[in-house]
Amino acid sequence: MLAVLVLVALGLLTISFRSPTSGVLHDAQSYGASALRPFQVAAVRVARPFRDAYNYFDSLARAKSQNEKLRQMVRDYRAQALLNAAAVQQNNELQRLLRFETGPRYPQDFRPVNAAVLAFPSGAFGQQIVIDAGTSSGVHLNTPVVSADGLVGKVTQVGRSTSVVTLLTDPDSAVPARDLKTRVSGLIRHGQNGTLILDRVPKDQVVDKGDWIITRGTVDRRYPDEYPYGIPIGRVVAVGTSDIASFLTVQVQPLANIDSLDAVAALVPKHPRAKP
Amino acid sequence: MSIADGLKAAALLFVAAIAQVSIFSQVHVFGGVPQVLLVTLVGVALLRGTIVGAVAGFFAGLVIDTATLGQLGLTSLVLTVAGYWIGRYGETTGRAAGRPSGHSPLGVGAASPSGRLGRHAPFLSVAVVTILYAFGALLVHFMLGERAPGGAVLESLVPTTVMNLVLTAPVYALVRLLLRPLERADFATEVQLLG
Repeated sequence: MLAVLVLVALGLLTISFRSPTSGVLHDAQSYGASALRPFQVAAVRVARPFRDAYNYFDSLARAKSQNEKLRQMVRDYRAQALLNAAAVQQNNELQRLLRFETGPRYPQDFRPVNAAVLAFPSGAFGQQIVIDAGTSSGVHLNTPVVSADGLVGKVTQVGRSTSVVTLLTDPDSAVPARDLKTRVSGLIRHGQNGTLILDRVPKDQVVDKGDWIITRGTVDRRYPDEYPYGIPIGRVVAVGTSDIASFLTVQVQPLANIDSLDAVAALVPKHPRAKP
Repeated sequence: MSIADGLKAAALLFVAAIAQVSIFSQVHVFGGVPQVLLVTLVGVALLRGTIVGAVAGFFAGLVIDTATLGQLGLTSLVLTVAGYWIGRYGETTGRAAGRPSGHSPLGVGAASPSGRLGRHAPFLSVAVVTILYAFGALLVHFMLGERAPGGAVLESLVPTTVMNLVLTAPVYALVRLLLRPLERADFATEVQLLG
C-alpha cells in the first residue's frame, strides 16, 4: 500500500514538475483549488476575529511610540505635497511639449482586482500567498499585487479563480526600484528578518536614511517592466558600505505588512494592450 | 476501520488541512510555523495504524498541494511516508505488550504494561516526525532542483517543534475523542476490497 501511494505521489510530482503551468493535471488542480476556495474563505472568516483582536492589541502597544513620529511626518509631507503638486503640473506641461511617451502609470492606468488572501504557504521554501482571484477576474501571470500600504509582490502562478503571489520577501523576487528623492535605481531583493535590500546601487550614488523607495516602471517601451512606475515599496532604514564592496548596502523596510495580509489588490491594466 | 471512522478521520484531516493553509501557516513565531495537519495526522496514524496513516497522509498532502497550487504530489509524498511510519510506531509499541521495545521504528518503546499507547507516545511521535518532515521536505525540494535553504529549515526547526508539541495535547485529545483507540487485532494490516 505504501509503495502504491508513494508511486502515485511520485507520478503526480513528475507530471506536475514537467508541466507546471498547463496540462490536464494543472487544470484539475485549478478546478480543485476552486472547489476548496469556499472552505478556505470560511476558515479565514472564522480566524479573522481572533487575528483582528491580536492585531488590535499589538497595534495599541505600538501606537504610542509611533504617534509623535507620525505627527512629524505629516508636517513634512504637507510641505512636500505642495511642492509636488506644482512639480506635477510643470511635469505634465513639459511632457506635453516633448510628446513624451511613458508606460502605463500607477494607479490611473490600472484597475484593482480586490482579492482575499486564502492561504499562506510561506515557509522556509518560499514566501508566497494564495489569493482568490484568477484568470476569470483578468489576473494573469506577472500581475503586480499591492496592499493598501504598498507593493506586495507579483502573480507567479495563475488558476481560474485563485492565484499564487510571490511576495517581495521571497529570495527569488527582484523588483526594479528607485529612490523617490535622489532618483537612484536599484533592485529590491529580500533581506534579513523580513526587511528588503535595495541592491546594485553603486557606491558613488546617494541614498539617505528615510528615503522612499518606489517601483521604477518602464524606462524604455521596448523593454516593458512588469511593475508600473510609482508603487510605493518601502522606506530606507539603513545605508552602509564597505571598502571592498562595489555597491551600497541599502536596507529597506517594506510598507506592506507582509506577515499579516488580509486582502490585496491585483493591478490589471485598463487597456490590455498597454502592458506595464 | 469502519466507514464512520473513515469519514470522521477524513473530515478531521480535511479541516486540519484547510486550517493549516488558511490560518496556521500565517502564525510565525521565531521563524517557526505550527503544523496542525502534521499533528492531526500523527494522531490518526497512531490510533489507526500504517494503512490508514499512509492513505490519510497522501490525501491530506493532496489537499494542501491543491489549495496552495503547489507542486502536486510533493506534500503527499512526504506525508504518506510520515503517516505510514507513525502508524507503524503506533502498531508496534502501544499494542505489543510484552514485546521488546526494539521493534518500534522510533527505537524507543512507548508501550505501557496494559498494552495501550504510553502518554508520551504522541509527543515523541510529533517531535520526531516534525524533524523528519522538515528534512524530508528539504530533500524533496533539493532533488527537484528547487530552492532548499538548509539554514532556514534548521533555524525554524526548534520553534516549529515546540509549537507542534504545544498543539499535540489538545489535537490528540480531539482525535481520540472522535476515533476510539483500537485493540491490536482491530488494526488494518492489508487493504480490504469492498463487496
